[in-house]
Amino acid sequence: MKFRILKNLILLILIFLIFWSCEPIVTKFEDCEDAVLYTAGNIIEPSSDVDTLLVMTWNIRFGAGRIHWFGDCCGDRVIMTEQEVTKNLEAIADYICQIKPDILLLQEVDIESKRSAYIDQLQWLLDHTYFNYGVYASMWQSQFIPSDGLGRMNMGGAILSRWKITDVERIALSLRGDQDALTQYFYLRRCMIKAKIGLPNHENFYVLDIHAAAFSTDYTKRDQIDCFKEEMDKIVEIPGALLVAGGDLNELPPGSDSTNYCDEDRCSGDDQEECRDGSDFTNEQDWLDDLYASYQPAVPINNYLADNSLYFTYGVVNTTVVTPINPWNRKLDYLFTNGDWVAGSDSTHQSTFELSDHVPVSAKIVVTQ
Amino acid sequence: MKLIKKIYVIFFALFFTAYVFPMNALWSTGTAYTLPKGYFEIGLFQPLRYGQTETLEWSTHPILDLLIPNITIKKAWRDFAGWNFASRHNLTYPTPLLRIISRKGTGGIISPEFDIPQLFSLKNEVLLTRKFSPSFLITGKAGLSLAAAFDELDERTTIDLPLVFHRLGVYYNGYGVNFGLDIGGNLTSRFAYMTDVDIFLLPGADENFAFEHKSLIIWNKSKKFQIMLGYKLVFGEYPFGTQWHLLPLFDMQWARQFRN
Repeated sequence: MKFRILKNLILLILIFLIFWSCEPIVTKFEDCEDAVLYTAGNIIEPSSDVDTLLVMTWNIRFGAGRIHWFGDCCGDRVIMTEQEVTKNLEAIADYICQIKPDILLLQEVDIESKRSAYIDQLQWLLDHTYFNYGVYASMWQSQFIPSDGLGRMNMGGAILSRWKITDVERIALSLRGDQDALTQYFYLRRCMIKAKIGLPNHENFYVLDIHAAAFSTDYTKRDQIDCFKEEMDKIVEIPGALLVAGGDLNELPPGSDSTNYCDEDRCSGDDQEECRDGSDFTNEQDWLDDLYASYQPAVPINNYLADNSLYFTYGVVNTTVVTPINPWNRKLDYLFTNGDWVAGSDSTHQSTFELSDHVPVSAKIVVTQ
Repeated sequence: MKLIKKIYVIFFALFFTAYVFPMNALWSTGTAYTLPKGYFEIGLFQPLRYGQTETLEWSTHPILDLLIPNITIKKAWRDFAGWNFASRHNLTYPTPLLRIISRKGTGGIISPEFDIPQLFSLKNEVLLTRKFSPSFLITGKAGLSLAAAFDELDERTTIDLPLVFHRLGVYYNGYGVNFGLDIGGNLTSRFAYMTDVDIFLLPGADENFAFEHKSLIIWNKSKKFQIMLGYKLVFGEYPFGTQWHLLPLFDMQWARQFRN
């Protein structure tokens, strides 16, 4: 009798384990869930008197600098060495320490990816700059991506701050609708990060960081941008809320001189008639109109329209181009607020060519309760 | 193109599951016993085994042989202090498979930026089995794997997955050792169980340890056919840190007598 009970028990345990064991390869996310908080190894006491804050956004290209990565610049590189990643991160950290933003919005931060030698780049940057706190939300997390040798991946966005960060949320954005199911399963799950910064003289200072779709050929990016604005609208309804929202929108400002970058983005082996996904913005010219109408951009639209090139934040360098004269050819990175920017404080840091394929954008915001 | 993708997926699944089922059937060679002369066994995911004599058994995975040629010989020696004693020797040439999965696009398990050199490995194991009752067996095993790479093998080519990482680790480290303990027995006349633990070590490597445990329920439909269902628990050190994995196991196995 006892033996029979034991046998049945073994059988039940086995059945349970068999069904429990199907661990998914790819991490999916809830519509809204907690983001991950980080703390620097050394805490540096931040200022207790804040009238203005320097805010900066930067897509740091997972510490890849200017390597000819296969995914975005006609290259053949996939997996970097630890030395390559560390060297690039050191250059990024040096630049951050030179500019000294108080709040930093980052995109394309790897925390556990084979392509970047499994370095936790957010912790690395916290430990090699003056920032005390960080928050991370993944937008590409997979135990293994069976494509191009990518392997394990965990990449996302981050917000760094001198002051404590609370109320952190990862808000999911819509998935690309123009991919087959298998590709979509292993592809990026884009998101926004919402966080509240514990400023000493402002109780409701919020930051929203986004990285919108780069290569979608349908209305996915428009949905994501609309979702970004809706979230901004929700935050500013909070009484007394001061918001800085920004990131890599992968979209051109309204009224841009050029909207088609098929020639610039084409790789040497491509058909001359072919246009790579995400290179033609011609049908997207009004997608940022609502944002510009409702919020203050760090770079005033009239300044941009007067000379687009001064504010370009992105430029891919194809392997066929040896020494580009002006590597930057479009503006994709933004900062907005419902408050006020300090007039003339904006900067588009185009001297950072070797550090990433994106330029950091910074501006000072007036902090008033 | 879709057909090529399907073939590719099937091949990779076989490669992966061949590691899940190294040698586990109670029917034959999870133990120090060899197949009787003239008998052979084959499973969906397990290799083809053939008893050449009463003490010598050959095995290979016939489908995987196309891309990862491999051959195993098991030789039963004289009993030792009441324990059955055998040695097992496996030669594997993984280069063709690794070169095929080093590619651009879907199916690229290894980055195509790296060259895969000629690689060979020789794994040698000793197995000791004791039958404590007609339906209860214990097998202990220990092995040493040696590998040779005929050019530089870049460490960024590792496949950081359970079961695979530590088995391919021998090509990066030059050698590895393994230990294991298997227990098996009958639950009823039709149902049997099998459970084991294995430890893999890559001395000197940064990620040098893996622990594997599996349990199977085996349904013996007849003397010629059985179905296995169970799980495999894996703990390992990887370049990104440590991780546990729990994986489902399933296989079907057929046995036939080729000649008397």
